[in-house]
Amino acid sequence: MSAQISLSCEHIERYLGEEEERVHALRGVSLEIETGSVHAVVGPSGCGKSSLLYILGLLDTPDAGRVLIEAETVSHLTDDELAQQRNKFIGFIFQFHFLMEDFTAEENVIIPMRKLGQLADAQMRDRAAELLQGVGLGDKLRRPSRHLSGGEQQRVAIARALANDPKVILADEPTGNLDTANSERAFELLQNLVHERGKALLLATHNPAIAEACDWVHEMRDGRIVESHHRNA
Amino acid sequence: MTPPLYIALRFLTHRKRALLLSLSGVVFGVAIFICTQAQTQGFSRYFIESNIGSNGALVVRSRFRPRYEPLMVAAKNSKGTAARRQYFEGITNPNEIMRVSRQFPDVVSCSPVLRGTVSARSGFENATVDLYGVDPALHAQTTDILHQLIDGNFDDFRNNTSSIIIGSSLGELLQAGVGDTVQLLAPNGEYWRFTVAAIARAGIGSIDSTRIYSHARVAQALLQQPSGASMIIYKLRDRNRAPVLASRFETLFQHNALSWQEREESTLQLFLTLRMSVAITVSLIILLAGFGIFNVLTMSVLAKIKEIAILRSMGYRRRDIGAIFLWQGALIAAAGSVLGCLLGALMTWGVSHIPIHLRGLLYTNYFLVTWDWRHYVFATCLALVAVFIASYVPARRAAELPPVVTIRGSR
Repeated sequence: MSAQISLSCEHIERYLGEEEERVHALRGVSLEIETGSVHAVVGPSGCGKSSLLYILGLLDTPDAGRVLIEAETVSHLTDDELAQQRNKFIGFIFQFHFLMEDFTAEENVIIPMRKLGQLADAQMRDRAAELLQGVGLGDKLRRPSRHLSGGEQQRVAIARALANDPKVILADEPTGNLDTANSERAFELLQNLVHERGKALLLATHNPAIAEACDWVHEMRDGRIVESHHRNA
Repeated sequence: MTPPLYIALRFLTHRKRALLLSLSGVVFGVAIFICTQAQTQGFSRYFIESNIGSNGALVVRSRFRPRYEPLMVAAKNSKGTAARRQYFEGITNPNEIMRVSRQFPDVVSCSPVLRGTVSARSGFENATVDLYGVDPALHAQTTDILHQLIDGNFDDFRNNTSSIIIGSSLGELLQAGVGDTVQLLAPNGEYWRFTVAAIARAGIGSIDSTRIYSHARVAQALLQQPSGASMIIYKLRDRNRAPVLASRFETLFQHNALSWQEREESTLQLFLTLRMSVAITVSLIILLAGFGIFNVLTMSVLAKIKEIAILRSMGYRRRDIGAIFLWQGALIAAAGSVLGCLLGALMTWGVSHIPIHLRGLLYTNYFLVTWDWRHYVFATCLALVAVFIASYVPARRAAELPPVVTIRGSR
């Protein structure tokens, strides 16, 4: 692969639970995600897809192995430094939208920008409006997030994930809670963003149609990537 | 506005019932604290003002003999305790003591008083009275006697040596008013006739029901005292310096000197105990308010677990999450303190207009209150500390929540 690697991991090991309930969730997983590509991780429930996403998204720390952002190891960073990396380089999209209920669609998109602190209030509002317009919600900026439909909430979550212009987007079953029409729309949106804006996208999914539309598909089983194949292969 | 403050503000205003509950606890705690302190200190301060206004901030009394301790040898069977002072009634050379003490910058003025207990009668009424023989001009400079007159004229007293000023309660007891005659019984059994020139009300029951002021020379003749003064009372620039000055005067003049704090120790302790008791009770109210806030914020942390995980996934640090909940506490404390101070002032004003008929230790027709900014500062500090402690644990708990566990749990 000649493209630049945005996010990668090497020999990740992760155990979950304690004592008798201890599970070996990830067993020596290595993965590279290049800029401008869409990767799908597929596999049965409990195979370690989400665990891998959380570790790559610096929300969880591996028991062994390392995570690299643009070839720089980040596994040794402090909690505060990891938070900063998440804020700047990674955008998360979750299955259940996970919007802040007390805030409007626009404010939900502004929250990560406020943390980054690089834009003035007016600039943040402009950018939020632009992102929400991009996901077809330009007319619902001021609507409280709890008054949006499931599909609309997921689109706000996509706009929020892009708020700080991250290099990597991690999506944990982003269409898992949407009907077919909304699923296709959300995925299309993400795919376009990756290709047009040069992002890298890794998504965990159970949806075979979505997986097949990705540039790379990594099949996981029992905490291992058992097969990876390119769409054109 | 920092991101944690922005989020805290939104969290707070979107849970109106919880906000109202927390806020009302702080508001009422602060207000009640201010109001009760204003009342208890109001009575205490009134007593102090009245007492100093009548008896001076400092009193020099009986002469004592120096002990010459270095020269003393304890008897074999004695327990080695220091010999007691030997006192002699009255002031030796009061004019000289007054001349020297006026050199002290803290002394505003001083007045010699010849004091004695005599029997008084008017018509068919009798009473044992505390006779104060004073120099009218000096006494008017040193005490609040001019402000204490509720009837009659001080000039009538000053210009007429056979006139007296009597305490208001004593006047009622003897049924004697201005212009009436009161007879005082001299030690030799003779009754001396005086005209009441004025009625004074100090506001303290023990003074108003016993005291009679006469001219010093007349009192000296009536009491048949060789000494011209049994005490000297002082007005000071700073009444809190009285204990220090008393100690210096004792050493300097070899006379017993008593500050107002020492003189009224038992009553002041009573007031202090009362204030402390009320302060403790009201502090408990504020602590209860703090406990309420603790519950509200703990519930808020539980209710916002998902939001905390989202924020962490977006790059908010542990300390940012903690700050969100500390800010909520701080906002409640700040708003609660401001509103509590306003309500406290309003309640204090209201209480000061409640009529009461007090004629015992103090004389008053309304609740006595003190307007003191320190009450407001102290109540605010107390609220801030209580709320900070109440917010700290939930904030810490929120900061420590692992986001992955929440996100996994929500799948």
